[in-house]
Amino acid sequence: MLFNDYAFLLVFLPASLVIYRFADPHPEWRIGVVVILSFIFYSYWNPPFVILLALSISVNFLAARAYLATKRAGFITGAIVANLAVLGFFKYANFVSENLAYLFERPFWHFNIALPLGISFFTFHHIMYLVDLRRGKAPDYSLGRYALYISFFPQAIAGPLARWSEVMHQFGRQVYRPGWQRQFAVGVTFIVIGLIEKTWLADPLGRLLDPIYVQASHEPVTNGNSWLALGFGFQVLFDFAGYSDVAIGVGLLFAVQLPFNFNVPLQSTNLQDFWQRWHMTLMAFLRDYVFIPLSNVKIGRKRYRLVQHFSAMLLTMALCGLWHGASWTFVLWGALHGCALVIVSLWRRYCPRLPVLLGWALTAAFVLLTCVIFRAGSMEAAMNIYRGLAQLPDLERTVRSVPIIAAALCAFLLPASQDIVARLTERPKIGIAAVLGLAAVAILVELGDRDAYEFVYFQF
Amino acid sequence: MSLSTSSSDSQAWGRWLAMFVCMSALGAGVIFALVVLVDPYDSGRFGFIGIEGIRDESPRTANASRGRDPQFSAAVFGNSTGQLLKPTELSQATGMRFVQLTVPGTGPREQIALLRWFVGHHARADALVIVTDPVWCTNDPALPILNPFPFWLYSESPLEYLGRLFSSRALGRLVRRVQLGLRLRTPSAPDGYWNYELLGHGEFRPAPPPNEPAETAAADQTRFPAIEQLASFIANVSNVPIVLVMPPMIASKLPWPETREAARLAACKAALARLVAARPHSNFLDFRVDNPLTRDQKNFLDPLHYRAPVARLMEQRIAESLRVGSGGPTTF
Repeated sequence: MLFNDYAFLLVFLPASLVIYRFADPHPEWRIGVVVILSFIFYSYWNPPFVILLALSISVNFLAARAYLATKRAGFITGAIVANLAVLGFFKYANFVSENLAYLFERPFWHFNIALPLGISFFTFHHIMYLVDLRRGKAPDYSLGRYALYISFFPQAIAGPLARWSEVMHQFGRQVYRPGWQRQFAVGVTFIVIGLIEKTWLADPLGRLLDPIYVQASHEPVTNGNSWLALGFGFQVLFDFAGYSDVAIGVGLLFAVQLPFNFNVPLQSTNLQDFWQRWHMTLMAFLRDYVFIPLSNVKIGRKRYRLVQHFSAMLLTMALCGLWHGASWTFVLWGALHGCALVIVSLWRRYCPRLPVLLGWALTAAFVLLTCVIFRAGSMEAAMNIYRGLAQLPDLERTVRSVPIIAAALCAFLLPASQDIVARLTERPKIGIAAVLGLAAVAILVELGDRDAYEFVYFQF
Repeated sequence: MSLSTSSSDSQAWGRWLAMFVCMSALGAGVIFALVVLVDPYDSGRFGFIGIEGIRDESPRTANASRGRDPQFSAAVFGNSTGQLLKPTELSQATGMRFVQLTVPGTGPREQIALLRWFVGHHARADALVIVTDPVWCTNDPALPILNPFPFWLYSESPLEYLGRLFSSRALGRLVRRVQLGLRLRTPSAPDGYWNYELLGHGEFRPAPPPNEPAETAAADQTRFPAIEQLASFIANVSNVPIVLVMPPMIASKLPWPETREAARLAACKAALARLVAARPHSNFLDFRVDNPLTRDQKNFLDPLHYRAPVARLMEQRIAESLRVGSGGPTTF
């Protein structure tokens, strides 16, 4: 069940709100009800994987309890290794096998397994809590609250990657307390804005760009279409930012304020700034739980600290790439960003400051160009796109690029969605509510086109 | 972002939420009322204001209207390989009233849905011409769909149809139908004919080399799940004459003799012929043959799509078949 499915928007979400309305006056029911709703939400996609989710919660909770009882770090280490092993099995086992087969020129194992939805996210949630427990920063929580932290349905599938300290205290709060109407209004506005980003900005780009990337996967891209392919950066931005905003909005309907995930990243004037505004919750995780430990661990002499610092940066970004998918193109994408971050760091340390406009243009160009590798699926396909850039786009077909121009203008000029929501909900203006209501209907109408019937079989 | 409010604000935000819900409900209600009044696809389920005809370039959806049009009593089914058969020519040659219900890029499942739709809306159909190209020879029991097809439009459930009318595509059709009602647009061709030759030339690539010999692969030549489904359909329309047509292709692309492909195609043709063998005024026409006509590249737009002169010949053979049945012609 996705946030832009009728099943979610017209059935699950309204039903959940009604059910929770009955639980709300009873503090002892609140967390349990949301946990059950979250498990139902999760099971909609693939019921057997609910067992994996339940097992994952139980094992990690028991490991945390065992650590608290004995203070043996081995419980924490073991749980983290087990989490990474499960993630590795589901996400990377076949990738490793393919690489071994390539190296040793013989076939290795192949598992016909589906990737459990949200496994990367709930694995990272476990790790954040367990590491902080080991550091003495995180307290002990009840099983119900811990289960909700891992499974809370607005964030379980694709984030935002909330830290335990950001959300644990919010779980189980009364929703229908004085002022709930404003909270709902803000939540509803986030949901509508998020769906607008997804439905009106990202999806039209997908329909425009998918055939170009399909072509690139088996032949060179001609007619200057490669320039259109650069628009994937805008597509992925509005797709994910839209999803995150819907998650934040839904969270607010259950009195949980999730962290923001995007802050106009394509308005950044350097790459470091970009990574502080793009998928912010993942980057905060990688910074605190990968980069800083790697950077601070004592290896070698002090004079090599700078090398270690930059190596940690590079490795963190390569891992960031690998986290996005089991393919060398993702690793390359991450490593390129890592290299660029090193260069930007050195530049800022030793070279004069670039004019803001030049910095912005270089950052946006780098992000859009590297997004091609992220999307293309193979280096051959990416090279087919890059080679096609030698050909300028056909101006007579500029009308095709309207979705890209619209998305680019929004990405470069509009404030962050959270700022837009804040502005729209400063005061209870009835006109805004009416417009948002009609926008919601228009989005539902747009989402009603679940199939592409306009297949044009003209090429035979 | 601060979420705290005063009590008077709470009331105002309550009204804000009420307005949001009311406008959403009102918008959705107006859309539902419009689609029920207009029936965007002219499926005959709703459409209380009585606009006639459709303006729809996609046969996938337009055939819902054509397939129930009472001015037609016979129809041509298939994919693009049946598209050039002209309803007016067939009507003239047979005295029946033909409509084109072929849909490019479809296979057996979609075509059977259309067959059911047509027969369901005609108490007495005069004839069915089914262009059974080799997609009907599949051995995959799942009968995979190559391109999206609106099965909901041809389903028996009005609710399933209603559920799909809340979409921008349906609203686009709705606007066109309203324009049609106001005479601001002209309707699409009621008989569904469209000449793909207007698109220009296709591509003729060299023929592939011969594949495995026939004797190595006899196992998968006995089952044709799509033809089995067609047999069940045909059994339920016992009084309707049916002509099955294996469309021509350029001879250089035919399977090489004594290969697995050739054996399978021959078995498929035999299975199709058996379906209509004992049926009155019914026949199986095999145009997928190697002869001077199919060897001449000028007769084809591309290897699979023949040109108008070939279509005219096929129409004559179809008309003869409807007259004399299985004792009639077998090919060109």
